[in-house]
Amino acid sequence: MTMTAPEEVHPSLWRASQLARGATPCLDTGFAALSAQLPGGGWPLGVLIDLLVQQHGIGELRLLQPALAALGTRPIVLLQPPHAPQALALAALGLDPSRLVWLRSGAKSSDALWAAEQVLRSGCCGALLLWQKHARGETLRRLHLAAQSADTLFCMLRPLEAAREASPAPLRLSLKPAAGGIDIGFVKRRGPLREAPLFLPLTPNLLQRHAPLDRDTSATAPARSIQPAMVGG
Amino acid sequence: MVLDQERVLAMSDLAYGAGVREGMRRGGAMMLVPQAVFQQRAPQLEAEARHAVAMALLQFTPQLAEAEEDTLLLDIGASLRLFGGIRALCRQVQASLRALGFTAVLSCAPTARGAWLLARGRAGRALTVAGLLRRIAPLPCGLLPPARPYLDWLDGIGCRTLGQLRRLPRPGLQRRCGRALLDMLDDAHGERPELHAWLAAPASFRARMELFDRVEHAEALLFGAHRLLLQLTGWLSARQLAVARISLLLEHERGRVARPPTVIEVVLGEPTWQDTHLLRLLKERLAKQALDAPVIGLCLEAPQVQPMAAPSESLFPEPGGSKEDWQRLLELLSARLGADNVLRAAPSADYRPEHANSWISVQEKIRPAALRAQLPPDAASLPRPAWLLDQPVALLMRDHRPYYGSPLRLCSTGERIEAGWWSVPQTRDYFMAEGEDKAYYWLYRERGGEDASPRWYLQGLFG
Repeated sequence: MTMTAPEEVHPSLWRASQLARGATPCLDTGFAALSAQLPGGGWPLGVLIDLLVQQHGIGELRLLQPALAALGTRPIVLLQPPHAPQALALAALGLDPSRLVWLRSGAKSSDALWAAEQVLRSGCCGALLLWQKHARGETLRRLHLAAQSADTLFCMLRPLEAAREASPAPLRLSLKPAAGGIDIGFVKRRGPLREAPLFLPLTPNLLQRHAPLDRDTSATAPARSIQPAMVGG
Repeated sequence: MVLDQERVLAMSDLAYGAGVREGMRRGGAMMLVPQAVFQQRAPQLEAEARHAVAMALLQFTPQLAEAEEDTLLLDIGASLRLFGGIRALCRQVQASLRALGFTAVLSCAPTARGAWLLARGRAGRALTVAGLLRRIAPLPCGLLPPARPYLDWLDGIGCRTLGQLRRLPRPGLQRRCGRALLDMLDDAHGERPELHAWLAAPASFRARMELFDRVEHAEALLFGAHRLLLQLTGWLSARQLAVARISLLLEHERGRVARPPTVIEVVLGEPTWQDTHLLRLLKERLAKQALDAPVIGLCLEAPQVQPMAAPSESLFPEPGGSKEDWQRLLELLSARLGADNVLRAAPSADYRPEHANSWISVQEKIRPAALRAQLPPDAASLPRPAWLLDQPVALLMRDHRPYYGSPLRLCSTGERIEAGWWSVPQTRDYFMAEGEDKAYYWLYRERGGEDASPRWYLQGLFG
């Protein structure tokens, strides 16, 4: 008697050694190495994605850029970002400034969560990026539930310390800067546990616009490449 | 307790429990319930209430007439399919009456007079002529106003119900009781065409209501605002208009100092004629509003209207929702967070980064073409950080290197920005730098003076 493989019984079952192939629609991350490590082969849509960043400005937007650019003309909402976003830089990343909406939270701290819920429930937006320092368990559950009502790419960016707290998000990644890119740690995913972080090369694409300022070696002319007559010998 | 000519006309449940009945004299009622509050019947207020209900019900049919004894007649023959059948329509009418704060008896019948009789006699609904006849036959004769002077006589000949009245010989009845009674009976049975003076919606909308009490919390005003909004919806659908701007005036108590009413203005990006969205917007606005003085009255005006645009139903709905949904979301967000917290990018053509990166409220309209014209043609080749600090941070110097958490290593060529002689001059050299934590920063060196030590500032983070 042969046993049926569990993944054939129901789509939400998977072996602990393989990645889940859920019915959640996914959006390609644009990085083949990362997509291969995510269940469904990309960022899942309509769920809460927890991105735990060590500090702001380590390349979190560059990581999301291919996915955000692939959303077409649907609006992108930046909710409570840590600093003022610069439209010119986002335009350079391929995000049309007319698609961007920047929401600052009002007087009350609950306003940001309320706004996030409204944005998710309306389902008009392609992506919602929410920066939040502290979030309670029931808040996360509520946002996760709201996210399921539409196919919005919903990323919540929180400090790295939040990795110790439980979260209902099916995908939790920790982002740490590394030389020439970032290290992505898989805190939680529907698939096998992976201890080693994944290194993704992500340099600001403008870094190499001109030759770098401090070169390691000065360009030396190879021997006998210059005609003696020109040297004037 | 409401009195009409010194007799009790209506009372609260409490007074009824204490033994007060309709038609009692004032003195008797006072003896039973000494602490009762007596109100004189006010025909003016009743007419206003009837008018308010009529306005709200105009959303169900354009043909609406006022009839005798506080009844409203609605011709719903053409509205049945739109509202999903008679049951659904009755439910919606009841719901909007409840939202207005009134209780009503609802009946329907193939003839208007028949429906009127059923409602007055609380005899339910009839959908066919046969059912109507069956239902109105046992109703008492006293329901018909022309029959009231002859009730004693009718009672004396053993004629107590409409069915019996109908079987009396017509010529005799006409001689004794007049033409009006027979006409009314014929109307009810559908044997005579009925003529109604349909109510016409006024050319402009303005509805006001007095509150029962002084209200000190703005959120408590939502109930009253909902009643006014319902009237607005009725008016809008009767005139086939959509509203682009509404203003709610909160009238304050006239104390020692007269105060002008507080105005709450709601501007809509996309004109609407449904009250649900308006109600959500008003709810958020009222939650934010701080009241200087107690409110005693509300007034709703629709200063800006335009013809209703027919909804276009596309066969395949767009995945991201329609443009109207997006506008509605932005309006809702600006109602709660404040219009200056819901921003869209409006980059301006300026070399100085602070000035180039401007964000404006979503309520200010700019053309996409104008927006694109402000962008540099080679946006992708300009090194700009995703985050711009509000205030540049002056950096410490250690070993002749700028220091921010760790020594920063410059990793790009400089970009000299020297502009703004017309307002705020800037002479800066911008660099990208990498810290030991491998994050990238955007720094600048202030050029300016001739001092030996250059001053470094941190202005942006690369996201």
